[in-house]
Amino acid sequence: MSPVKQRKLRLSSAWLSFPIWAWLLFFIFIPLGMVAWYSFGYKPGLFSPVSNSQLSFDRYREATSGTFVKTFWNTLEIGLLGTALCILIGVPFAYWMAVKARPEWRGLLVAMVLVPYWTSFLVRTIGWQIILAPHGFLSNFLQDIHLINGPIEVLYTRAAVQLGVVYNYLPLMILPMYVAFERTDAAQREAARDLGAGRLKAFFSVTLPDALPGLLAGSLLVFIPLMGDYITPSVLGGARGNMVGQMLAQQFESAQNWALGAAMAFILMGFIIVTVLLVGVCFLTLRAGIRWTRRLDLEGVV
Amino acid sequence: MSANPMPSTAQTHKKKRDLFAVLYWILAVGVFTFLFAPIVVIVIYSFNDGRLLGAWQGFGFKAYHRAVTDQTIRDAVKISLISGVFASLLATTLGTIGGVLLARTRSKWALILTGLLAITLVTPEIIDAVSILPWFVTLGTDAQLLLFNNGLVRLVIVHTSVALATVTFMVQARMAGMDPAIEEAASDLYASPWNRFRQVTLPMARPSIMAGALMAFTLSLDNTVVSSFVALPGYTSWPVYLFGTVRTGMRPEVAAVSALMLILTLGALALVAVVLKRSGDGDLATTLAAS
Repeated sequence: MSPVKQRKLRLSSAWLSFPIWAWLLFFIFIPLGMVAWYSFGYKPGLFSPVSNSQLSFDRYREATSGTFVKTFWNTLEIGLLGTALCILIGVPFAYWMAVKARPEWRGLLVAMVLVPYWTSFLVRTIGWQIILAPHGFLSNFLQDIHLINGPIEVLYTRAAVQLGVVYNYLPLMILPMYVAFERTDAAQREAARDLGAGRLKAFFSVTLPDALPGLLAGSLLVFIPLMGDYITPSVLGGARGNMVGQMLAQQFESAQNWALGAAMAFILMGFIIVTVLLVGVCFLTLRAGIRWTRRLDLEGVV
Repeated sequence: MSANPMPSTAQTHKKKRDLFAVLYWILAVGVFTFLFAPIVVIVIYSFNDGRLLGAWQGFGFKAYHRAVTDQTIRDAVKISLISGVFASLLATTLGTIGGVLLARTRSKWALILTGLLAITLVTPEIIDAVSILPWFVTLGTDAQLLLFNNGLVRLVIVHTSVALATVTFMVQARMAGMDPAIEEAASDLYASPWNRFRQVTLPMARPSIMAGALMAFTLSLDNTVVSSFVALPGYTSWPVYLFGTVRTGMRPEVAAVSALMLILTLGALALVAVVLKRSGDGDLATTLAAS
């Protein structure tokens, strides 16, 4: 291409990209920036949500010394346990879908995972509220067959929230793991088996390292939205299953303290960004580790 | 082999394989039961003739009748569909441009754009919600831009923002797998940039554009958190209405509407799947699962 033509192309693409840049800045990043700015302000009086006439880190101090910390740890525990459970269920299931199930079924199986995922998040969560209700059909049935003595008391507890988040985010673990397992090499697995590795050993030392990017992507896809979840604890949690998302929402809604809410929002956001970076670093270290311990010294070749 | 009293290794292997096959089946049935349980429950309870959703009073179609005649519910569904169509159009337009650009340019700006879009993907919805609300108040009340005091405009804007990164990355993934030489050939044959984009680039990106539009539409139909924050009286979308009833007590009508919306979503999915298959562009599942 001649330089003039190339320049023309580049100019037109710069011009074309204007709308998406404008949208991102005007409707996402300027609003985020404003909230960041609010987090250094304070609530001046009963009828005003925020003022920035004096700047300080006081809201961050206020947030990290109150009940927010307790709720945050609570949320983190739910998040870590939820991600672990999703891995425990999702990884073998995705392996079955991608490797063990008949190839002609795979499209259907993926569709069957996508259907619940595409159903409204809120509707699915409400479905669990009906299932877990103390006087609902499941509770009555379990009492009728004398498996339990009283009504099930799960709804509006932390256990219900835990179940809800595992349910809501499980497809986000299954789908990337499925794609990752599908790309692994069956011949390598067979080679490992031929060389005497057992079923589990072949899986953990050959297939899983190959699917590692999928595992990390899935874990982040589950963990990140889970930490900021607002719907699941609102529908299933009640007072005992509180999570940070609800707490910072309260500051913007009923408490009308935007400065404190903003500080809480940015503590959560910062935590998420640090987690993403940490997982990235872990991935690179793990990969380097695997490559280091399994070096191939092909002396004659070099 | 029958003369041999000891089982051969092939037989032990077979037995082991059978055990694993059974375990896999238990897992598969268990996971699918888990995934479909609440959806099946909602559909069944939409035929509940009682006054309260959770208390079963017998089978019937009263809930459906009440749902389609309830003016509040009808308005909410209408607002949802309108905002879904507009948000899907906007997000698909912006996302197609963005996706093609990201797949075709290698500059530091493309990298920054990818980074910014990735940040929007990992931002929890609740943070989007608490940041856009003060901004709308600033624009609408302080700056007197009355457009931002319109509930429908607000919904379309936030739904577009929610779907933008997803559509962009879907189109980018598709275009990254297409040979840029085809577009260069069009240019060499004196196609103007616009004609090249319309007649060469767009047809290549079509499956991802359609899948992206559908994704944007469902994301919009489903959006609850940000919508409830920015909602204004008279412009309540369906999920916002539904979320409100969770606190005040749900009636079977909401399950009926949810079941109808489920059919709508699945119908749209099936439609796109059929179109994709006919045009020979691969199947929907892989297009979606890969993005």
